[in-house]
Amino acid sequence: MATNLVRLLESSLRSNNAGVAQRTLRVFSSQQQQSEHSVEDDEEFRVLNLRTVKQQARRRVIKKEVVPPPRTTHMPVDQDWTAVWSGPRSFHPASVPLPLRQGYTERGAAAPSKYANAELMKIPNFLHLTPPAIRQQCEAIKKFCTPWPKGLESEATWKAVFPVEVVTTDYCHSLPTIRHPEARRVTITLKLSDLKFDAHAKDKFLRLVGDRYNQETGVLTFVADRCPTRKQNYDYALYLLTACYHESFITEPWEASKSEADMEVYLFERNKAKLSAEAILNWNATGEKQAPSATYADSVEKLINEGENEYNIAKYKEEVLKMLKIAN
Amino acid sequence: MLQVLKSLRLTQPTRFASSLSSTATNIPSGSADVSAVDSGEPDKLYSKLEIELRGIDPAVLKSYTWFATTAAEHLGIELGKCWSPRKAHHERMTLLKSVHIYKKHRVQYEIRTHFRYMNFHKLTGSTLDTFLEYIERNLPEGVALQAAKTELQQLPAHLQQPPEQV
Repeated sequence: MATNLVRLLESSLRSNNAGVAQRTLRVFSSQQQQSEHSVEDDEEFRVLNLRTVKQQARRRVIKKEVVPPPRTTHMPVDQDWTAVWSGPRSFHPASVPLPLRQGYTERGAAAPSKYANAELMKIPNFLHLTPPAIRQQCEAIKKFCTPWPKGLESEATWKAVFPVEVVTTDYCHSLPTIRHPEARRVTITLKLSDLKFDAHAKDKFLRLVGDRYNQETGVLTFVADRCPTRKQNYDYALYLLTACYHESFITEPWEASKSEADMEVYLFERNKAKLSAEAILNWNATGEKQAPSATYADSVEKLINEGENEYNIAKYKEEVLKMLKIAN
Repeated sequence: MLQVLKSLRLTQPTRFASSLSSTATNIPSGSADVSAVDSGEPDKLYSKLEIELRGIDPAVLKSYTWFATTAAEHLGIELGKCWSPRKAHHERMTLLKSVHIYKKHRVQYEIRTHFRYMNFHKLTGSTLDTFLEYIERNLPEGVALQAAKTELQQLPAHLQQPPEQV
């Protein structure tokens, strides 16, 4: 029984093996056919890749651009430089045919050359403003200019016609804003002698303007910067001048009540000295009254206003002797 | 006087707004047609134009001054005094070197500002506008410009005579 079983097994195994062999043969033949196909279709046989093998990345070949030789080598000697460097631009070594060197090195070594030199690129250059370029541009814009009028050559001549000076300021800077708080400021200056006054108005005007008047130079200065725009400030300064000027001609009722104690200067007309002099001159006189002379009045005013100095006392003495007709 | 005033009534050329850019170096004189518009109002007069430059690099200021004075010479503008103070203005900040303590050890930062001044005299309004715009357009980076203009004006009519009634 057992031997039979073993035989059966063996036979079955053989038959199995034969089957396998047959199959493999078939597989081979089909593979051959497929390979013939693949050559025709140009397709690769995809191999089952159980272990993931890293595909080698292809190295990229870096292409180097062909650097042309610097432009300076082709430049003719008599070229138009304004066409080469027409506007503001940072330094470029290949465009500037100058053997420039700039920068710090160790002692004894030459300064770095212009190629790849940051020092030359940092500083703003004026290569677009060469003398011929300036001349060309100035000739182009000269038609917008007008000459200074004849007859106003010196300051004295233009001061006679244009006594008022208006100072304004413009700013040009590289800030995020184009506004500048000082640009609104307007300063108007003129001489006090350019305005016409009588004695009362002049006194009142000087009181009104206060320290806008410079005693030493005789110049009035109005500065306006409280309004937001320049035009408004200019109008305000002129308004201030006009208002002060016109106000100074107004005589208020209370101004008449100014007593002798309020006076800043001694006036002969308003004082006892005049009455005394008149009394002496018209002693026992009838008819026309005699008035003290203007020179006497002047000497008295000077004596009191300027103080008693040698000259004023001598002058006063002379005037008194003359008035009283005393021969010395 | 009247003659002077009459001669002041010049034709005021239009301000050259955008015709001149710094890149366009040579404007053909034929194509740029200046339409001389007589606006009827007399040109302004400026007795002085004072320009203050401030920047961090004295060499740039010097080059710019040379450019501006040369341009003024070409345009026929009278040049006044041009000068600069010998020393720069130093603005210093002294800080602690460390974040928190060690007060004996400090670090100092400073900003140096160099100044330069130029004066131009006797410009008409159109000349001043032209010249100022030209030099402002060519102002290098990192330089600030301040232009103080002194305009000449007549005394207003209402101030020439004392008021008749007040």
